[in-house]
Amino acid sequence: MNATSEHPSLPASGGSEGTVNLAVAHRLEAERLIQWFGLSEIMPREEFPCFEDGEGLSLVVTGSGAERAAAGVRYLHGRRLGSAWLNIGIAGHGSAAVGTGLLIHRIARRETGKRFWPPAPGLKLPGGSLITVSEAETEYAEDAAYDMEAAGFFAAASRLVTPDLINVYKIISDNPAHPLAGFRRGQVPSLFGARESEIRSLVAHLRERGARFAHWRSLPAEYRQLLEKYHFSVTRKAALGKLCRRFTALGMGPRLTVLVSKRYHSAGALMAALEGELAGALPVGGKDSNEPAF
Amino acid sequence: MFSAIYFESAVRDHPRTRAILRRYRDLPQIECERYSEIFNRKSQNFRLQKENPALILARKHGRKVLPAPGGYGFDAAGSHYFSHMLNCIYDCRYCFLQGMYRSAHCVLFVNYEDFADAIERTLSGSALPKEDAHPRYSQHTYSQDTHVPTRTDEASRGAEQVFYSGYDCDSLAFEPASGFAEFFVPWFAARPRAVLELRTKSTQIGGLLKHGPIPNCIIAMSFTTAAAAARWEHGVPAIDKRLAALRRLQEAGWSVALRFEPLMPDTNPDACRELFELVFSRLDSRWLHSVSIGLFRMPADYFRNTLKLYPDEALFARETRTRNGVTSLRHPNEEAWLRQIETALFRHIDPKNYYRCADGETDREN
Repeated sequence: MNATSEHPSLPASGGSEGTVNLAVAHRLEAERLIQWFGLSEIMPREEFPCFEDGEGLSLVVTGSGAERAAAGVRYLHGRRLGSAWLNIGIAGHGSAAVGTGLLIHRIARRETGKRFWPPAPGLKLPGGSLITVSEAETEYAEDAAYDMEAAGFFAAASRLVTPDLINVYKIISDNPAHPLAGFRRGQVPSLFGARESEIRSLVAHLRERGARFAHWRSLPAEYRQLLEKYHFSVTRKAALGKLCRRFTALGMGPRLTVLVSKRYHSAGALMAALEGELAGALPVGGKDSNEPAF
Repeated sequence: MFSAIYFESAVRDHPRTRAILRRYRDLPQIECERYSEIFNRKSQNFRLQKENPALILARKHGRKVLPAPGGYGFDAAGSHYFSHMLNCIYDCRYCFLQGMYRSAHCVLFVNYEDFADAIERTLSGSALPKEDAHPRYSQHTYSQDTHVPTRTDEASRGAEQVFYSGYDCDSLAFEPASGFAEFFVPWFAARPRAVLELRTKSTQIGGLLKHGPIPNCIIAMSFTTAAAAARWEHGVPAIDKRLAALRRLQEAGWSVALRFEPLMPDTNPDACRELFELVFSRLDSRWLHSVSIGLFRMPADYFRNTLKLYPDEALFARETRTRNGVTSLRHPNEEAWLRQIETALFRHIDPKNYYRCADGETDREN
């Protein structure tokens, strides 16, 4: 599916405005996020534990590995539509200090060589490259972060939404000086705790961006009202959406409201009336309205 | 201005890459194999990216000089364009680049020397084969109005070939970092039978003034009415500042040209009169290279893409017409309206120095 066309996570109006879906591999990585954002578990619990705040932020615990990460993304998408996605987790690194937070700019999957390029949001967060591996990395051969999920996460999420609304954030848990063998799982919440402000700013950024994106594409309430009043074919439904958007864009929303209140004998007659209203229409009240038409 | 700098491994050590990476040392600097890994990928969203565009430094492969679209400008025997940069740092709502690319990142091709070699080959007579018609306009041609005189001044008559820069970007807007004009102006100075037209809305003229004028380089500045500029030209220098820059160039002896475009169909001729009076009160019309007017127009597929990006934008919600694959906005009496504007323009300039870029009949409407 082309994520920039009509995506199911972007309904006619409202619904998914500013919704962000988080994906973590382990329950311990979810702990602080659940606490900070006031998330509650979505019941009934099914294949993947999911949580939400009731205001558009959801979280899935996917389990370990790229395939599980991808499956978890698809699963959460089925339960809660997100306009933006964020993968957060711990990672090893060839040189970065334990506790460092990195906004990932480049993901390479070691197994396949496939690369992904999450956007750089301009938040002035430290950034870096990441290699997704199928088994825990102990060599740290490259000056990059190592995880086991990001490539699977990004590949799956970018089939659902535009990649411009997908980010990956990793907190370094081990490196050559502090190898994985010495890492205790109980350290995860405190590693997350030290990066709270970065994670909050990233989530806020994605919420804002996702909200704007949804707003650009939203349809006026009159569209839904018309769908309830008349029968439209699939083609006409799409055309109706375009006409309604034109009314709004041209500042003719009040006129659309008037037309909705009238009764036409068919959807075709309504469409003709809408088209007639728009013929030759110019923006109402725009900055160039001091330039009278013709 | 940018959220990150990507650079191809192949240009990592190029002097221009190194200079730009030094200039933007505080931004994330990310190495890639090919710019196409990041630029114009499927499902990317131009409008979202425009909020945080990145700069990508790359090497241009393949064809570097292409035939200019019909009606683009000069009536010269050979008209070509070359793009050292894809996308623009400005954000003009009417710009066709929004519909052309899925990506709003700016790609700067740093191998200027290869562009120069390609221009040299074009000049030396290895004419572009017919099948190399302009890739974006090969399905249609713009029709010039036969009643309107076409520009035929000294520069184009004497020149064998014209090379436009500023088709896929603004020629000068990124000059402090790109050094594009700094490289190409001296290069063209040594080749007087080639004409370089730099299309721009930028006031970054320091390098030009420092170099001094060359007779075969034209600085063509675009203008719209004050209301249109305020509404649709985001991040673009104010009209006053652009005029001040042009005046300085003119005083220094540079050949300057005016491009009044894109003209929107709800533009009142009085607003154009005001613009013309302002422009010609600042510039000496006797020394203008050329003046043109162009209507808002966009290849139909680019218009469709742009409409998908900006369904909430009034500009694209108006009635349109599509003719020969080009979409423009409808005007009920276009020819009379355009003539009114041209009459106002001809109070200031010699019509011999004027050409019009405009489309004619309607064959499909929305």
